[in-house]
Formats: sequence, structure tokens, C-alpha cells
Amino acid sequence: MKTLIAEDDFASRKFMLRFLSKFGECDITVDGLEAVDAFLMALESGEGYDLVCLDIMMPAMDGYQALKAIRDIEKEKNIPEEKRAKIIMTTALNESRNVSKAFELGCVAYAGKPIDQEKFENVLRKIELIP
Amino acid sequence: MVEENNVFLEEEDTQKDKYMTFTSSGECYGISIRCVNEIVGLSKIASVPETASYVRGLINLRGKIIPVIDVRMRFGKEPLEYNDRTCVIVITVNKTVVGLIVDKIAEVRTVEEDQIVPPPSVVNNSGQNRFIYGIVRTDDEVIMLIDPANLISEEEQETLSNMA
Amino acid sequence: MAESYITESMLDMFLYESSQNLETLENLAMECDKSGELSEAGVNEIFRIMHTLKGSSGIMMYNDITTCAHSLEDVFYYIRESKPDNIPVSDVVALVFDSCEFISSELDKIRDGGQPDGSSESLVAKNKAFLERLKKQITDGGDALPKDTRTKGPEVFYIAPAVSGNANYFHVTIKYRSDTEMANVRAYTAVFSLKNRVDDMYYIPEELITDESVAEVIINEGFHLYIKASVDEEELMRMIGQSSGVVNIDVERISAEEYANGGQGTGDKGDVVISLDEEPAEQPKKKSTRKSKKKPAESEVLLAPPAEEKPVSVSDMVKKAEDKNVKEEKAVQKPLPSASKQTFISVNVSKMDEIMDLVGELVIAESVVVNNPDLQGINLELPNFQKASAQLRKIIGDLQEVVMGMRMLPLAPTFQKMNRIVFDVSRKLGKDIDLDIIGENTEVDKNIIEHISDPLMHLVRNSVDHGIETREERAKTTKPQRGKITLEAKNEGGKVWIIVKDDGGGLNRDKILAKAKANGLLGNRNEKDLTDKEIYNFITLPGFSTKEQVTEYSGRGVGMDVVVQSIQDVGGSLEIDSVPGEGSTMTIKIPLTLAIVKGVILKIGSSSYVMPTGDISEFVCIEKKDLLVEPEGNESIMIRGECYPVIRLKEYYHLSEGFDDVEQGTFIIAEYEGTKAAFFVDDLISEQEIVVKPLPPYIKKIKGLSGCTQLGDGSISLILDVGNILKGLELTR
Repeated sequence: MKTLIAEDDFASRKFMLRFLSKFGECDITVDGLEAVDAFLMALESGEGYDLVCLDIMMPAMDGYQALKAIRDIEKEKNIPEEKRAKIIMTTALNESRNVSKAFELGCVAYAGKPIDQEKFENVLRKIELIP
Repeated sequence: MVEENNVFLEEEDTQKDKYMTFTSSGECYGISIRCVNEIVGLSKIASVPETASYVRGLINLRGKIIPVIDVRMRFGKEPLEYNDRTCVIVITVNKTVVGLIVDKIAEVRTVEEDQIVPPPSVVNNSGQNRFIYGIVRTDDEVIMLIDPANLISEEEQETLSNMA
Repeated sequence: MAESYITESMLDMFLYESSQNLETLENLAMECDKSGELSEAGVNEIFRIMHTLKGSSGIMMYNDITTCAHSLEDVFYYIRESKPDNIPVSDVVALVFDSCEFISSELDKIRDGGQPDGSSESLVAKNKAFLERLKKQITDGGDALPKDTRTKGPEVFYIAPAVSGNANYFHVTIKYRSDTEMANVRAYTAVFSLKNRVDDMYYIPEELITDESVAEVIINEGFHLYIKASVDEEELMRMIGQSSGVVNIDVERISAEEYANGGQGTGDKGDVVISLDEEPAEQPKKKSTRKSKKKPAESEVLLAPPAEEKPVSVSDMVKKAEDKNVKEEKAVQKPLPSASKQTFISVNVSKMDEIMDLVGELVIAESVVVNNPDLQGINLELPNFQKASAQLRKIIGDLQEVVMGMRMLPLAPTFQKMNRIVFDVSRKLGKDIDLDIIGENTEVDKNIIEHISDPLMHLVRNSVDHGIETREERAKTTKPQRGKITLEAKNEGGKVWIIVKDDGGGLNRDKILAKAKANGLLGNRNEKDLTDKEIYNFITLPGFSTKEQVTEYSGRGVGMDVVVQSIQDVGGSLEIDSVPGEGSTMTIKIPLTLAIVKGVILKIGSSSYVMPTGDISEFVCIEKKDLLVEPEGNESIMIRGECYPVIRLKEYYHLSEGFDDVEQGTFIIAEYEGTKAAFFVDDLISEQEIVVKPLPPYIKKIKGLSGCTQLGDGSISLILDVGNILKGLELTR
């Protein structure tokens, strides 16, 4: 599993990296803009990400915008639904409104911070990223 | 009770060692400032039947209804006519708010812990000993420190109301 | 900030919505059971709810709820698609109830901050087995099973934060010695040491590293941290640790609101400390740091389009996600009545009580102002003042009414619960019983509803268990095969009557009498003098039960007395009536509200008392010759041929003042549950609405007093509990 993490907070970044490195290669970006760039780069090199974790509150471009941008790119490149990256939002915003907005934009899961590792792994299993 | 008081005193805060002193039937008493909410003048008391005689009744403290106790009568002394110097010390003990009717408010003074001596073990006839946990002798007077919890303790009230 | 009131956390929303759905589900199941058939609409609705529950619990990753809902959804899907005949309705209803119970107990666990650790395995197995049975009927008949055309559930998940619910909030103030160098860096180390170990935090001043001038601010004002963490004070102190230069660390626990408000109130204290003369540049900067300290909610508002005002429900997410994944949506999507988004807000009950108290104060304050002696001194004509005060009075009156109205709730939900009880108990006892509900929209004060629910449950249970005969017994009578219990509520004379009526065998007068005799409850009374009502009333005495066989549901001999006690606690009464062979009727009479009552203010000596107007039937003045004195000293008066025992309140309370001459004072004839008495008082002052307050806890319970109140002039009056006094009277005479 190849993962892209977008997270502006150093501590959270470190945590996500350590947590997700167990499952494979992880790349790190510190804001939404960089994340979208990284996503494009990976796509062009022919090795897209399986999982993208986006923080919502980030400088330059927030998580929603990044999420939408990534989905738009995939649409434009005619990437079939099942081949698209799984996107999980990781954020401290837990109001149902935020969650719904993220789902609408096409993320597969929404994880409230602090991240519940066990549940996170469960989701990864459910979306068949890990066995 | 003595142990409890020690615990009480060991609590660290700015109000430590500060006592509100007042006079009642010529004696000077002190009560820890920690439990004192405020001092108010005496307003109209609505008497409540079937209570101990020292429970004078209820007063209206800005919309809150609180019971008032006459300290003089609580110590088993004859009641005195209330005058315009009569004050009510509103205290909170164990979440119970009670007003204490006293003859006259004196002052707030600091009493160091080592100044406090235990009261004489001989029970004097006024029957007030159970409410006093310490005595402070200063140059000009003797202050008796009141244990407010004992003052309004429920068993006491019950026995007294049975007597009444 | 208005948005913050309508945003709800994902978890709260899920809990709220699911409970709503379960409630609807129970009612639906109840209806099906009553009508004995599964209507198409009902099946669709149950299927839809189960589908929603499955979806939303799936998003929330509560697996056992999902599987349970799923298995029941399967059953209803099958019923909906293949419309089998001879469905055992009551079995289906029982399945629905069992699932409801499981899910709601799981929801409770989540609500209490726990994990939904119950297993749905046995339920799922039961549902599956039932489905197999149904299917077998069909396939045996040769019909092909319909293809599963259901939409696949949404594949989105919500991962709840690892620690939720029981977090503590703190305001930590760190004070540094005035000569501390680089206090900002030291403050930052404190922040750093906490960073990964607390759930959330923010601090003032905010710019610690980039702006060196904050060092002085920190020294002058202290460094303020607002922390959300699931640790206690001690642990927090340990986490912050000691560092050089720290004079004092003050940890204060604050509420979630204070935390969300940026510690307002607590944070402001810091403002006072700062001296403008010393640091002229400080103040504006401080303001700006405060402004830049955005709460997540605020910054989120900036991002999200403001158009969406209502919180988004979890089921909406399910639906949307499904709509996206699947082109054809076959299910009939009928909107749920209870899920329709009304503009309701939920208010903390304590806040309502506070408003209520304040309105009470306002009523009193108004009367203090309007009747102020200062105004009455000179014969002043105050037309403008009168006009203005009349307007004020009207507004306050309206306000009082609105506030009272806010506290009034319909009895419907309470009555609905009884449906379930009748269903459960009658099923287990093998009786066929219908429950008729009348007037469930009658409204009662919220506090009273809470107190009435348990006694009512007990009465209904009693009616099912003792009231309605068994099938065999009933078959011997000419009554319809199905028993009937009627639950009725109505407004009657300023009170609410709740009537529980059954068409069973009625109370057994002789049995009750025998039992009462055996237990020595008759006292020195002759059993021939007892009216039927008095005899029936024996069952409300402690330790009375005539049922020979103690059942699981009632008949333990604790019950009726507890029922009566709880009813009396809210100022109500219970009346029992029964006709042998035709059934019995229990009537609960409760006041509309507890908080404000109409009362007559009366005087004895210098004390004033209030007697609730509802208990008073009339006032009389008598002549000496009308007073009858029995040899034992008991007094009574004769009015229009009826005899009333006299209670002299002066003697009752051993008061030192008050009239002794009956011609000087007034008698108040009061009645409570059929017992009447004449209260002798000095004088009547007025009648007014009074706000009932409890006696301070320091004053022990005093016989005959139910509380106290504050009168218009600020003085205090004691409220008489007529029922209590009359009860005592019965015992002594």
C-alpha cells in the first residue's frame, strides 16, 4: 500500500507516518497544495497512491479543496472508480456537517483526531487496502 | 471532630488563618472566614413552627430563602431583643447555607495556628463547649473559635428539638 | 457564532437520530401487533428504518448494531418483496422488539461513553432462522424466491476520535519570575511537553517563537493554556513539569463552554493585571492575538458554505452515499414523521427551571414596585405610571404563561410506553389484551410527567396481571374474548385526570376486607361502616397484596403504596373504583403544574401561611353556638347540616400568637381526597399566584408544610399541605 499524508502539524504527521509505515511506503506533505502536487506526480510516474490521508485545516489549501482537486484530476484522467485512491480525512472537526461535506466530496472515511488506531485499521481492512 | 478540623486547617489558601470575629452575649467568637459568604443586616424573619427554638425562621436573601439561627440561643443563653446592630453572618457549611444572628460584628483578624489552644476539657454550664474547637488568647481578649459544622449539625438539632 | 448552536457532533447526531428511529419502529411494531397484520406501508417503513440504522451504524463502525439491523432488514426485505401469506405477525413483532431492545441498550452504552460491546450473534441467528422458516413456506409452495435487488450499503466510514466524551477541560496559568529570560521559549517548552499528550489545546499569547516581545507579556500576565485532556489535575501538572523560572502553576478545571469561549471570564482576569502606562503597545497587540486565536468552528465556518444551516443527519449521509453509488433506487422513500426537521432546540432542564425561578422573582419584583409604599404616601394621581405598570403586568403575565407552556409536555410518549408493557406482559401471561389510548395529547408539567411514568406503568401492569382474567376464566363470561384496557387523560377542574380502566373481574371486595382484617389494617373500625371505596383503598397501604400467586410482574405486595406515594409527591391523588365482574378503574388526579399555584394567604398572629386555592371549598364565619366540643376535646362545626372537624392552626403548630375566640377569626373549609375539615385562622389576606419553593434543607420536614414562598412585599410565607394535615387528622381521631 502506498500512502500520501497531508498534515501541517508536526506531531500528527509523525504519528501518522509511524502508524501507516507499517503497511507500506509513505510520503509526506505539509499542506493541501503540496499534497495535490505529490498526487499528480505519483500519477504521472505511473505509481499512484492507494491511500491519501488529508488533514482538513491546513495552510495554502485545505483538506476539502485538496480532496475535491484530487477527485477532479482522477475524473479528468478517466481513472475508473475502483482504481481511484481511497481518501481518508483526518481532523479534529467532528461536527456532522463537516463529516457530511467530506463524504459528499468523495472521501471513503472520516477519522476524528486523536486517531483511533484500531478503528482506522478496521477501515483499511474494510476498504481492502490491507489484508 | 478535632482531626477533622486539622484537615480543615491544613488546606492551603489565602483565607487561611483569617477569622471573622463577633460578639454574642458579651463573649468574643471567631469563625473561619472560609465559610463566611457575607454579612447582612437583619431583615424580617418568618418564623417556622415545630423547629428548635434557636432556629428563628427564614429570611429572604435577595430572592433566596435561607434559615437563620440565633447564636446566643444556640449556646443555650437567653434571647436578646434584636436591634440595628444585630447582624446576620451568612455561612455555607457542607453546601448548607445558614444565617447566624449575632449581637455585633467585630472584625476580621489573623490568627496563627500556634496561637490556638484546645478548649478546657471541663464542660461549663453554658453547654457551648461542643461548638468550640479552639481558644485564642490575645493581649486584650479571648476569642473562642467556633466549629460551624458542629453549630449546624443535624443530630444536635434533632436532640434539641426533641427537648423543646 | 450562531452556527455553533446548531452544529452537533457526529456521535450526538447518530445517537439522537437512532433513538428517534427506534421509537418510531416500536410504535410501528405496536400498530402491526394491534391490527394483527403487516400493512404494506408498515413493512416498507420498518424496512427503511432498519436500512437506515444499518447504514448509519455502519458509518459509525458499530458492527453489532449493523449486523443486527441487517438481519432484520433481510427479514423485512423478504416480506416486502415476496409478500408471503400467513406471516406470524406477533412473532415478527417480537423480533422487532428484541432487535430494538438490543440496539437501544447498545446506544445507551455509547451514550455513557462506553463501547457497544454487546453481541448481536444470537439475535442475528434468530432473525435468520425466522427468515428461513418464512422462505421455506414459499419455496414449498413452488414460488421462486425474488432476486435480491437491494442497494448495497454505503462504503463510507466515520472513525470516532480515540478519546471522546469524558474529557476534562483546564485553564492553566503559568507564572514566571520577573527576571526570567526568554519566558516565551520557556512557555513554548511547556506547550511542547503537552502537545502530543492532550486532546486539544490553545494558549495566550499565541505567537511564542516568532514574536519575542511576548516574553514580557508572559511575565506580566502569566502564560495561559486552555487544555482539553482526559487526565486529572495532578497528571496534568506532572505533564507540564517544572522548569526554571516558574513561580507558580495554577490549574483550574473549567467547563466545556468556557473552554469553547476561549476561557472568557477566566482569561479576562489577565487583562486587569496589565498596566497601560507601562506597556502602551501591549493592549492592541493582545487584542489581535486574541482575534487570531480562532476556534476550529469559526475557521470551519469560513470554509464551509454558510448556506447549510441545519446539522446534517447521519442517515442523509447514508442516502447520499447510496445515491452516488447506485443508479436505481427502488425503495419507497417516505419521509419519517419524527425525522422531519422542525426548528426545535433542546434546552437543559435546569435552564428551564432557572427561567421559571427568574420569572417568579420578576412577578414578585413587579408587585414590590407597583405596590411600593413610597407611591402610596401622598394622594398622587399617577395616570402614566398606572398605564405603564399595567403594560408591564401584562407582559410579565404573558411571559409567565409562555414559560409555563414551555414546560408542558404531552402525555403521548408516556402513554406509548404503556403499549409496550401491555404487549410484553400480556404475551408472557398468555392473555389477549387491547390497549385503548384516549387524550394522549393532554399536556402536563415536565416534572410531573417524570414522576407519573412509573406509577402509571405499575397500574397498567396491575391491570394486565390482576385485572384482566385469564383466557379460561374469561371464556366463562359473556365478555369479548380479548380483554381491554383503556388509558385516558383529560383536563378536569384545573387538574389532569389519568384513568386506567380495565374490563376484567374487578376488585374482590371480600378478599381485600379479609386480608385487611388479617393484617390489622382496620384498626378499631367496624367493617360494616366501611364504604366500598374505603375498602378498595386498603390495597394502597404498605404491605398489601391479595394475589395468592406472586408473579413476575406484580403482586409482590410492594407497589400500590409506592404508587400512591409517588402520586402524592407531585400533589396528586389516586381514586379506586371497581364493579365486580365488570372491571376496575384507577383515576390519578394530578395538578397541571407544581411550580406556580394559586393560594390564599392567611394570617395567624404575625405569621403568614398559604393554602392552595384548589384545596379550599369555602370560607365561613360562625357563632360560638355552632362550635361543638366533644368530651375528649375534639372540636367540630356544623354547617348546613354537615359536620367538619376543626383544626386550629395555632394549636396545631403550637404558636404563641393568634386568636382563640372562634368569632374573631375565620374558618376555611378544605377538602382533600374526600376528607374535609375546617381550619381556624385569624384572618385572610388575599389570593394570589405563588411560586412554590422547597423549604431549605436545613429545616427538617415539618408536618403539614409543603414548601415556602416569597410574597409581594418580599416577606416569606409557609405553604400548607392540606392533604398531609388531613391525613394526620384521620389517624388521631
